[in-house]
Amino acid sequence: MSAPYFPTFSLATYLAVAVLLGFFFGFFLERAGFSSAHKLVAEFYFKDFSVLKVMFSAIVVAMLGIAYFSLVGWLDMSQVFVPPTYIWPQLVGGLLLGAGFIVGGY
Amino acid sequence: MGTKPLPMSPAPLTVEQAEAMSQRRIKKHHVAIMLLHWFNAFVWLFELATGAALIASPYFRLMPYWYIDMMESLFGSRANMLQFHIAVGVTWIIVFLVYGIFGFRTYLAKQIFEKEIALDRDDINWLIIRALRILKKSDEPLPPQSSYNAGQKLFAVLVYAMIPIIMITGLIMAFHLFGTAVVGWAVVLHFVAVGLVVSGLIIHVYMGAVFPEEKAAFFSMLTGMVSELYAYRHHFKWWKEVKMQEEAWIQKLQGSSGSTGVAPPISDPGPVAPPAAPEISEEKHGPPWTFKRIFRAPEYWPPYVAGAGLGLTLLATFVLMGQGLGASGGFTRYLVAVIAWVAPNYAAHSAYWSNYIQPGHSPLIAFLVFEMFGVVIGGFVSGWLAGRIRIAVDKGPRISRRTRYALALGGGVLTGYGARLARGCTSGLALSGGAVLSVGAWIFMLAVFAAAFGGAWFMRRYWL
Repeated sequence: MSAPYFPTFSLATYLAVAVLLGFFFGFFLERAGFSSAHKLVAEFYFKDFSVLKVMFSAIVVAMLGIAYFSLVGWLDMSQVFVPPTYIWPQLVGGLLLGAGFIVGGY
Repeated sequence: MGTKPLPMSPAPLTVEQAEAMSQRRIKKHHVAIMLLHWFNAFVWLFELATGAALIASPYFRLMPYWYIDMMESLFGSRANMLQFHIAVGVTWIIVFLVYGIFGFRTYLAKQIFEKEIALDRDDINWLIIRALRILKKSDEPLPPQSSYNAGQKLFAVLVYAMIPIIMITGLIMAFHLFGTAVVGWAVVLHFVAVGLVVSGLIIHVYMGAVFPEEKAAFFSMLTGMVSELYAYRHHFKWWKEVKMQEEAWIQKLQGSSGSTGVAPPISDPGPVAPPAAPEISEEKHGPPWTFKRIFRAPEYWPPYVAGAGLGLTLLATFVLMGQGLGASGGFTRYLVAVIAWVAPNYAAHSAYWSNYIQPGHSPLIAFLVFEMFGVVIGGFVSGWLAGRIRIAVDKGPRISRRTRYALALGGGVLTGYGARLARGCTSGLALSGGAVLSVGAWIFMLAVFAAAFGGAWFMRRYWL
């Protein structure tokens, strides 16, 4: 049977897996130091490049895995949600979020 | 120089000397070698697991049928498994070629030909004496060894002789080169070469993972370092080389004026009282990869390590849930639940909120909502383990708490509005969408960084 597996989950399993995945998400974010606004903001003053390093290494790891799994036929990409593109909203939204990031610190 | 000449053979050490040497760590492996070693280990693991299941012919079959069935159902079909075997094998060949070509002088000429496979007279004697000692026919001391001992070198000779055969026969089989007869021979050679390596691999893994005396060698493949005492006792010729280099450096630093007040490094212990202090453990500090050092240390993890963990979590999320991780979508649903509770009529007819409302289903029974619970727990556990939990206002040194609160609120409004306008935040859109190469996600990510870097100049008074 090929991934993704969520259609086979019962509701309880689905939500339990969600909590578990969230646990690791939160755990690694905290391990990287992303619970500190100071550390996050230091990125934009060229003092600490953790944000870029963590984010891009995570993207590269996940991307390689996804590409590989779909190449060998294990992961069915037609079942995977790829965020649709809306150029202007995403450009403006990104600028607002970036401004909010540097003002608010997260 | 004030130092005495280096000893010719490992002399017994005093307790103090052994203690001092067990405290010092010297570098054994370059990080590129360690990476290659573990990459190679994983490739062998995958290739042996799938290869053993691919040999299903009744004449050759090694593994029981249940194993073959299990592996086939794991991959969906034999063809998929074969594809996987080939893909990993080709990746392996490419990585080795890259190391061999771009690192010819460092890795192939220096590392492999000089250090790993060149057996000298001491090595031959070592092998003979070792065998005799195992048979209890001799109690001669083992001759001193270089950075790899003769047993390791023998294994290396076998591996480096077989690897090209495995690679070439593998390619012939995978792409049916040179006709049926050649492919037939390639099959046999492939099996034999792999079988020979596996026979050595059993000893290699036993020595590395189980044999107590070689614990230090195992950890050196993770950290690159060994204690000086271990080097002195097990790889004496290499220890001497390192010492000679060190002394050459010291001499260079002191200039030609000769020795000054600098204490000589470990030199000939000279004639010392025999009791050789075996009770001092070679690894004074213990293995560096304990639970305590990894999880309880107050420092953050190196960014690439945390990033790789995050990436694996994200990958698992895609495999299990068919979507990425997120944050702002979860908050949206909390809000939807409140609105639907306070003003159900408005919520049901709003173009935006009604997207999240289905009759009979709470908007809170959703992946992102429960994932957010997990995030809070995971973040707390991580911070608690490291002792980072405290109540504080994280602000720049020049502003008051009140200013920080106002900025946090204002920034939060901008962030929230931006995230909903773009249909995602840094987690849900930039990270998750970025990994599946959504164009919009990358536009969004660039915009976030552009605005934050640009805005940093205006906000410097508040943060620095």
